[in-house]
Amino acid sequence: MEIEDLKDIWKKQSEAFTPKDTSELANMLKGRSTSIIAKLKRNVWFELVFTYVVGIALLVYGVTLRSGWLSSMSISLVLLFCLYSFYYVKKLKLLNRFDANENLRENLRRLIKSLKGYLRFYKRSYAILYPLYFFLGLFFKAVEYGAEGFIEHISRPQMIAVLVVFATVFFACSMWLTNWYLKKLYGNHLEKLESILGELDA
Amino acid sequence: MIGDEKQFINLINEHQGLIHKVCIMYESDREARNDLFQEIVLQLWRSYSTFRGESKITTWMYRIALNTAISGFRKQTRKVKTEDLDDVHLNISDNSSGDENEENLNRLQVAIRQLSEIERAMIMMALDEVPYEEIAETIGITQNNVRVRMNRIREKLRKLMTA
Repeated sequence: MEIEDLKDIWKKQSEAFTPKDTSELANMLKGRSTSIIAKLKRNVWFELVFTYVVGIALLVYGVTLRSGWLSSMSISLVLLFCLYSFYYVKKLKLLNRFDANENLRENLRRLIKSLKGYLRFYKRSYAILYPLYFFLGLFFKAVEYGAEGFIEHISRPQMIAVLVVFATVFFACSMWLTNWYLKKLYGNHLEKLESILGELDA
Repeated sequence: MIGDEKQFINLINEHQGLIHKVCIMYESDREARNDLFQEIVLQLWRSYSTFRGESKITTWMYRIALNTAISGFRKQTRKVKTEDLDDVHLNISDNSSGDENEENLNRLQVAIRQLSEIERAMIMMALDEVPYEEIAETIGITQNNVRVRMNRIREKLRKLMTA
């Protein structure tokens, strides 16, 4: 079969679908986008709102406690959440940079770059947050015990071992969970995009 | 409905065959095709204000539709399954009387759906008589590269159609 024969066959396709009417098309314009970038943006907004809701709950909890380690931890976490607003703004800026108006190859390149940048930023921010919060916890404990008492308490070999094991397990599990979550949400899609770009570059 | 929106809907009305073809080639079931159709319309609407008529309207539509179908729209699976092919077949049969032409169209659709996503995009445009220059512009490769790839795609299609 030659290409001209295929073209003739292909033309028949136009008769094979039911056209959408004007009102259906008008309704589509009011719909919600399901593009990967739109979904990522919605996720960021969801995380932002969730962070503030948890932050407010922690603040209420923190101020009702009389004092001590737990109260300081709760309030410091709220401050940390406030700082995280910048992180969300940065994430949204990364996503807003994306424009799908280019040719297919350029669009793929940009999308891969945006997605990789977004995922790298996401992983790094959590890789910093977990150790930071661990050491913050230790710091508040030190404040509560007093420097001398704290050093005496923490320098026991048994306590060092517990802390090292706890920190390692917590960090490894948290990072594994973050990586798994990101891979599940966007990793497979990213691999697919890279393979399509690879085909174009070949 | 405001002026721009009305103008845009008329444009989609006029060229919705192009969007339907992209949806049929890139989505397996009816529901997913409808979702993709809506997403393409939305993406076209979003970039409508930036369309300055530098390229043909169909080139612009192909660019946005293919970008959406290939890279922007995340779906469950892109593998061609038996039931998916049946669905395409049913879609055609709903509107036809079952002659040789329809069987050829089914075979062509099934064959195209077995090509890679890039190959599908290129052959679709070629079958719609889009010049190589515009195919090159839409995909982002040189015209020579389009020629070489089109030869390979034609060969693949021929084998798939006769298999």
